[in-house]
Amino acid sequence: MAAKLRAPGFYRAGTFTLGGVVFSLALTYLVRMSYGHGRFHHFIAPNAILTVSLIAAPLAFLVGLGAFDYWFYWAAGKPTRPEDHSSHGAHSWRDYFRVNTDHKVIGIQYTVTSFFFLLVGGLMAMLMRAELAQPGSQFVDSNTFNGLFSVHASLLIFLFIIPVFAGLANFVLPLMIGAPDMAFPRLNALSYWLLPIAGLMMIASFFAPGGSFASGWTAYAPLSDTAPIGQVFFTLAVQFAGASSIATALNFLVTIITMRAPGMSFFRMPLLVWANFATSLLVVIATPFIASSQFFILLDRGLGFNFFNAGRGGDVLMYQHVFWFYSHPAVYIMMLPGFGIVSEIIAVKSRKPIFGYRMMAFSLVAIVVLGFTVWAHHMFVSGMQAWIRIPMMITTAIIAVPTGIKIFSWLATLWKGVLHLDTPMLFALGFLTMFTLGGISGVMLAMVPLDIHVSDTYFIVAHIHYVLFGGSLFTIFAGVYYWFPKMTGRMFDERLGRMHFWLTFIFFNLTFAPMHIIGLQGMPRRVADYSSQYAGWNLVISLSSFVLGASILIFVYNIVSSWRGGPRAPANPWRGMTLEWQVSSPPPIFNFDAVPTVVGGPYEYGVPGAVHGIFKGGAEVKPAPAGTVARPARE
Amino acid sequence: MEAASASVTTADHEHHGPPPANRSSRVEAQTLGMLLFIISEIMVFGAFFTAYFFIRVVKGDHWFPFHGDVLPVAVAGVNTAILLSSSLTMHWAQTSIKHDNRFGLKAGILSTFLLGLTFLFVQVNEYVHVGFSPRDHAQGTIFYGLTGLHGAHVFIGLTLLAMVTVRSFRGHYSSKEHRGVEVPGIYWHFVDAMWIIVYSSVYVL
Ligand code: HEM
Ligand SMILES: [Cu+2]
Repeated sequence: MAAKLRAPGFYRAGTFTLGGVVFSLALTYLVRMSYGHGRFHHFIAPNAILTVSLIAAPLAFLVGLGAFDYWFYWAAGKPTRPEDHSSHGAHSWRDYFRVNTDHKVIGIQYTVTSFFFLLVGGLMAMLMRAELAQPGSQFVDSNTFNGLFSVHASLLIFLFIIPVFAGLANFVLPLMIGAPDMAFPRLNALSYWLLPIAGLMMIASFFAPGGSFASGWTAYAPLSDTAPIGQVFFTLAVQFAGASSIATALNFLVTIITMRAPGMSFFRMPLLVWANFATSLLVVIATPFIASSQFFILLDRGLGFNFFNAGRGGDVLMYQHVFWFYSHPAVYIMMLPGFGIVSEIIAVKSRKPIFGYRMMAFSLVAIVVLGFTVWAHHMFVSGMQAWIRIPMMITTAIIAVPTGIKIFSWLATLWKGVLHLDTPMLFALGFLTMFTLGGISGVMLAMVPLDIHVSDTYFIVAHIHYVLFGGSLFTIFAGVYYWFPKMTGRMFDERLGRMHFWLTFIFFNLTFAPMHIIGLQGMPRRVADYSSQYAGWNLVISLSSFVLGASILIFVYNIVSSWRGGPRAPANPWRGMTLEWQVSSPPPIFNFDAVPTVVGGPYEYGVPGAVHGIFKGGAEVKPAPAGTVARPARE
Repeated sequence: MEAASASVTTADHEHHGPPPANRSSRVEAQTLGMLLFIISEIMVFGAFFTAYFFIRVVKGDHWFPFHGDVLPVAVAGVNTAILLSSSLTMHWAQTSIKHDNRFGLKAGILSTFLLGLTFLFVQVNEYVHVGFSPRDHAQGTIFYGLTGLHGAHVFIGLTLLAMVTVRSFRGHYSSKEHRGVEVPGIYWHFVDAMWIIVYSSVYVL
């Protein structure tokens, strides 16, 4: 037992977590005592202990788990053990519950964890739709309802869409650029373990006195300054998720810049790598802003600062500026990696070079730059200085241009291609259509007069779900199906995959399209009850949403059963040219025996004589049928 | 910091370690990582300066001195000099180890650490005597917010320096292996440069 408590792992983590709570109790007690009874009546303050615990306990947990062991050795000046790769690779399911430094293991950890939070967040959505099926109040009171939509949105944004992209990229990006791992494997492991902490914290807020945080995923001040303690769960969970994002982004950037295979110039990188490069830049630059906005809230709540206390000269609008300066770029953090996934799939599945490769790369960079110039389009009705509106309207319209370029490039790639309409491709095409609709409603919202009319109505809900569900989530499904054979070494069930696609596609539209209509008619968003004039459409929406929710069960079943017993996947089932398809499925533990040399672009499908990479022994990656350079699967 | 796992260079076929990654850039991974981290840090300061900007410029409220609350510009000025000189000693340490001058490294890094500690001590002392708290007014909030944020960074920097000091005295660095001094050094220079901006906008302007 004592040995178990000393070795890194869950036993030690549990003990340390308890220690963190005790520490928080002692710290708050001592601080309050040192101020004396003149300032505080009680030295034991539950809210203060809870707040400090929410910081200290997770950190202690991570230390206990062993996420920092190596650095402690380093800091103490002890000789650091050379990497013996004992924490590399996974031999049983248990290895997924350890601090593992293998990017392939971390990629799977990330993806599975994010999908867990998708299911939890999805269940909350089902509850909300049950409540909204009819006017009046049936299942939950309005405070719980506010909590549900807040936690739903926060989980899906911070714990699903953002990290699941990081997870998929974690798995495939090093393979694609011919690297044996990420640049900082231990930092990578730490980034992963911050996630479950953030997610569980958000869910746990339901048990806080006064209920979960209920001020939306935007957590506007001054509401979030004064809301019950559940709000702090959001404030701090965002810090953990944000730290994780920044660390991963930094890792991706360094990996992409310093670890590409010989010959892989920037303009020979697959577009998924480009997309993650752009996304990571956004994360590194923008995420500190949401971290700061939550620091402000934390300081206001915990130490009585006056950032948002108008009575003492604080400025509440500043919150919105700082928040959206992150959160508009964040919508591209939630979309650009999806652009990358779709570029891969569309090129492979239509057997054609991607149209306008360089324009695709440049438009990503343009989006990164322009993404920082449009934030106040979320604030047209906030009472900010009126003169900001028109410039923001114009920049918002302009940012649709690079996005449009990408849409047309994909269309041109499809043009006269030999289309393989299997599950990944169906989702990619679903994305193309649905995201275009979401983009159009986005440009509509950029127009100040229309935005004033539909602000805080269901029209916004329709827009964000067309871009985030029909856009991002469809690319995620596409990517998961596409790389499933590579990640697990098994094929999924194509029939179930198609069924999943069609159910999702149809009921997605039945659920979210009517929201445009009731939004234009004026139904407000974020309410538990509504006037009976909207009852008809809401019933339709709720019923469709239940089918939509159920359709994901097909996906889960397909993934679980295929992973356990699906047919073995060949190395290159889709006949892709990018490097990850040239190694076995799943890839060998260190990815490559020897780093391949890259001699051409990644998408030259159907181009005679084109070669992307050359492996040791002279095997060339040509646009050729499967199996040419495959290696035997590792068991 | 951590060595990329590529340092193991077993070239056999039994996979005892990963093949060495190709170096596709002249920049070292650790240095690049630190620079990117500093970009993030600059943005955190950017957000706090946004708060400053909104109170002081957008709303156009009074700035210190007001309501009898004054900032000790001169004391902080001396403190600024202390912090800036620590950048020089840091530089001394960095150049020394490049020439295998162990004494210069140890003396440089130790004095950097002590100068940083003095800075932090003076800063805390200033908080005790300044006579207003962040609860009093938004100006106090911004003052404590910005200087506190910077103080936290000095603290992080000092933690890094403490580790480097320990390792320097144990003789872990040489002209071939001095990345461990180099990378925290970059951070320390950043902390110093940031202070100039904080000092001039909060105290001087
Ligand atoms: C052509 C591209 C786009 C344009 C022009 C655009 C425009 C807008 C505008 C003007 C709003 C503010 C509406 C309001 O609150 O009154 C908005 C809201 C929103 N957009 Fe977009 N958008 C675009 C793409 C995206 C993408 C790609 C995503 C995410 C993947 C996204 C996610 C969101 C979200 C989450 C909100 C709601 C924020 C809230 O909770 O208030 N948008 N969009
Ligand atoms: Cu926006």
